[in-house]
Amino acid sequence: MSSDQDAAEDEPPSLLWGLDPVFSAYARLYVKDLLQMRESRQVPGVYFYKSHPLYQVDVLGTVVYRRERDDFYCYGVDDGTGVISCLCWKEEKWQNHGDSGKTAGGPAGGGFNIEEQLRKLQEAQRSSTVLEIGDLLRVRGCLKTSREQREIQTSLFYKVNDPVMSVQISWMLEMPQLYRDCYDKPFHIPSNELSAGSTELSGFQSVLCQSVPILKEFLKEKEVIRFRPYDVEYLLHPLFQQPAPSTSAQQELDSVQSIIPAQIRNLLKETLKILQEEGEIFRKVLSQDEVYNVTEHDKDLLAAICDILREDCKREKYAEKGCHELHILSSVRQRYSRNLSREALDVALKHLECNSDIISTADAHYTVL
Amino acid sequence: MLPAAAVFHFPWEINTDVVKDGASIRTFGRLTDYLPEESKAILTSHHASVQHQVSIQTSFVEPFDPIIGAQYIVLGEIEKSEDHGEAIVRARVFNCVDGVDVALLQKAVNEQRAFFMERNDEASAQ
Repeated sequence: MSSDQDAAEDEPPSLLWGLDPVFSAYARLYVKDLLQMRESRQVPGVYFYKSHPLYQVDVLGTVVYRRERDDFYCYGVDDGTGVISCLCWKEEKWQNHGDSGKTAGGPAGGGFNIEEQLRKLQEAQRSSTVLEIGDLLRVRGCLKTSREQREIQTSLFYKVNDPVMSVQISWMLEMPQLYRDCYDKPFHIPSNELSAGSTELSGFQSVLCQSVPILKEFLKEKEVIRFRPYDVEYLLHPLFQQPAPSTSAQQELDSVQSIIPAQIRNLLKETLKILQEEGEIFRKVLSQDEVYNVTEHDKDLLAAICDILREDCKREKYAEKGCHELHILSSVRQRYSRNLSREALDVALKHLECNSDIISTADAHYTVL
Repeated sequence: MLPAAAVFHFPWEINTDVVKDGASIRTFGRLTDYLPEESKAILTSHHASVQHQVSIQTSFVEPFDPIIGAQYIVLGEIEKSEDHGEAIVRARVFNCVDGVDVALLQKAVNEQRAFFMERNDEASAQ
């Protein structure tokens, strides 16, 4: 029991499960393991084989138990290590075709009858989904625990035609190899996912962390209304010069020129993207000419918002509570700029509120006095 | 209720102490004799130049089409009478698999056993 608890504590956080390839695959495990695996404490329906989180499984085995219900079959599947029940839904189309097939299946001359052939094909398909005890069944589906019992809710299943056991034998030969190569190997979460290591990527991230405040500071200090990327590119140059020990003006210039300009441009692009996502800047029109408006300093935008509020708050509908943010957004988009993002509107509204130009009445509702 | 898992055993293990009374097993062999009136079939196989025979109780799987001389695979429970060691397999599944590569099947069974043995050793070592 104590070892069980220890193991549960080792469970990696669910956020990182997707990094394990086993998680998104149909795990081909022995039924014995499917029955014994422990269920995740964080998310029911997810199981752990050793350190691998998984919920989809792939099983091949002999049907040793069969029970028919109105809309599904329950098959007990034995792979030689354990028996698990598999819930296999009956397909509605087969149920319907069962009736229509009989009526349409009259004698149809000697020639090639396409309906007859189609019916035969469907019959063949249908027969591969109805199994008897002793048949070989292949199932894929989600592992579930219902009434304290593990079962597979199948998403795909079919009868395997295996007259000389070749499928079973190759399956049996493959399984140990799969375990050794994959399932029994512990899954290590790449360390740079857990903490930004000293890789090239994180180096870029750290420069990005510096470039965003630099640009913000500049826009605020100089009260920039609008700019183009090349106007501010020079601001990022110092970030690439840190290693240069000598600081003579001439050398600085040289080193700037020697840096791969693509690197700076890339950094600038990413920085502007972040600023746009934060709503600090936006593009009024999307055109060849890459012009960015600074949200807080865009007098026209701020005036447009105030105008909208002033007009609409007179209407009875908005008189009491004020206008909702999304209403303002759609009005501003019609009147001022179709490209205005919600984040940018948020920034503008906050700015106006700070200046007491507008008042927030309720959650995300604004009015003007 | 689901039956117990039928573990693979070689025909030459059925009459040894490896296989206990009541165990669920699966094994294979060539059908050499079938007595419908007794619901009894005999599977024969050769191992290390010794002929081994396994008696099968077939009442659960009848009627079936017996092909004398064909390879069969049987899945069922062991019944060992106390007075003499002769074991009978009460078959739940009795499939003709004539044409099976018996050598490869043995290899697959051995591989699987080796894998579980290895795993148990590791678990007990920890």
